[in-house]
Amino acid sequence: MESAAPTPATRIAIEELIYRTCLALDEKNFKAYLDLCDDDFRYTITAHSPEIRKDMIWLDHDKAGMQLLFANLPRHISDHSPLTRHAIVYTVDHAGELAQVVSALQVFKTTLDGGVTELFAIGRYLDTVRVDGTIPKLTKRVVKLETRQFGFGNHIPF
Amino acid sequence: MSRNAAEWMQQPKLPRSHFVDSRIYTDEAIFREEQQKVFNKSWIIGCHESELPGAFDYRTFHHPGGTPLIIVRGEDNVVRSFYNVCPHRGNTLLYDPVGNAKRITCIFHSWSFDTKGNCVDITREEQGFQKRFCKADAGLREVRTQIGFGGFVWVNLDDGACTLEEYIGDALGMLEGHMSMPLEVFHYHKAVVHTNYKLWHDTNSEFYHDYMHYFNRVTGMLQPGYFDRKYTGYPNGHASVGSMTIKYDAYEGGKERGVGWPGLAPGGWILIDIFPAMTYNLRTSVLRMDTSIPLGPNRLLVEFRGLGLKSDTPEQRAERIRDHNTIWGPFGRNLHEDLLGVHGQGRAMRPGSEATWVLHGREENMTIHDEGGMRHFYAEWSKRMEREAHDPHGDRHVSEVT
Repeated sequence: MESAAPTPATRIAIEELIYRTCLALDEKNFKAYLDLCDDDFRYTITAHSPEIRKDMIWLDHDKAGMQLLFANLPRHISDHSPLTRHAIVYTVDHAGELAQVVSALQVFKTTLDGGVTELFAIGRYLDTVRVDGTIPKLTKRVVKLETRQFGFGNHIPF
Repeated sequence: MSRNAAEWMQQPKLPRSHFVDSRIYTDEAIFREEQQKVFNKSWIIGCHESELPGAFDYRTFHHPGGTPLIIVRGEDNVVRSFYNVCPHRGNTLLYDPVGNAKRITCIFHSWSFDTKGNCVDITREEQGFQKRFCKADAGLREVRTQIGFGGFVWVNLDDGACTLEEYIGDALGMLEGHMSMPLEVFHYHKAVVHTNYKLWHDTNSEFYHDYMHYFNRVTGMLQPGYFDRKYTGYPNGHASVGSMTIKYDAYEGGKERGVGWPGLAPGGWILIDIFPAMTYNLRTSVLRMDTSIPLGPNRLLVEFRGLGLKSDTPEQRAERIRDHNTIWGPFGRNLHEDLLGVHGQGRAMRPGSEATWVLHGREENMTIHDEGGMRHFYAEWSKRMEREAHDPHGDRHVSEVT
């Protein structure tokens, strides 16, 4: 099926979905985040390593796996510095019930002590959005990272 | 009971081998000395042979002693290493971390070298140098290089050092049967943390900190056999920890692993620390390799590699990657916790802080929560540095506790 530009209303709804996923994760409102995802949601973080000349998968979960990851967070020791996700939707290609969405992503980290904000990571969201109902749902998210160094890291995905 | 200043500074009531002075983690002069006496004299892992699959493939490596290196596979299939420094004006020869170069040509004045380190071109040589200096005088500085112990490429800047086999001795014996098949790196990332390299190596040398890892508590510490794992020290400061069976399905959502590793019991785990800052960590289906590159007394770059078998099917490789990511990936459960731990140590022990003593005093018959692995490391460190780890400047007046 050939893709086409979405209607303005569809595009607005898709953009709002992407931005709501950022807000939900920023607020650590994991239930709200998962509510924005389809039942067959798949989440993957990838990066390319020039050093070993390979594409790498750094995280790969279905919806149940993401649910479990979030549920286990309180059992682990984590850095509590808040992350802030900035996404800008670049392109939306709509074909049938699905839309392919490419967004630029920047993630900022703000220290709890003193509130210094630093750029933590950049990359892209490569999303597949189901638009067959009244409310679009995220069915697949690939976070393709350019950044491959995160200092002591973080437990919460982008 | 809390302690006043004098009590806080008092030496611990433990043998001198069971604590160190925290200045060994923060002192700039000690760090520079470590680069010379420890790193420039030891065999160090530069990369893995799978990162240089074809002729003329190269990898650049920031040697922990400070000198940048090129590791390159020649047309003759031999892997050699050289200073990544042009002998003309000291420029970096190869800038990218990886590439393929039949000729290594300096971008500055186009002096050119082959993969055996021979200088093959000096631009306008005769006009500038007449007969006073020629290509034969301008070869690269070659560094001793050997592939071994799982296909890793080891380098040693000391031309007079012992062989790699002598350096390792029996330390990697527990892994011998598990590294006979060709391996391949599938994961690589770096982390820069404000801490001292020895603190990272310490974390890899003691399991008492399993209290920090929820994953390890439920899959390991609460399982039979955990407290039977034993440390063994080897010459040159290396140490190993014996295997146990990890119960992966004890972690919510976890499941028993299927793909395994040749010769390793299902759920098995072997960890071997190689002096001064490398760790083989074979756990169930993945070999993790940590190589530390200190950038300063309180700044550390750690390279993390995940390896599987070169013969893996796509399904086997996918399972290894999943296993790796669960605990050791950049978003894994354990790695962030370990890095937070050493970051916290670096923060507390910064210069000027009176975090004076660091204890390595637990004795449990060298079993898993004994701190003998660290004591073994610091005995070697003290020997090489010609300084006592408990009193590196000779001003603590530490007495032996009997």
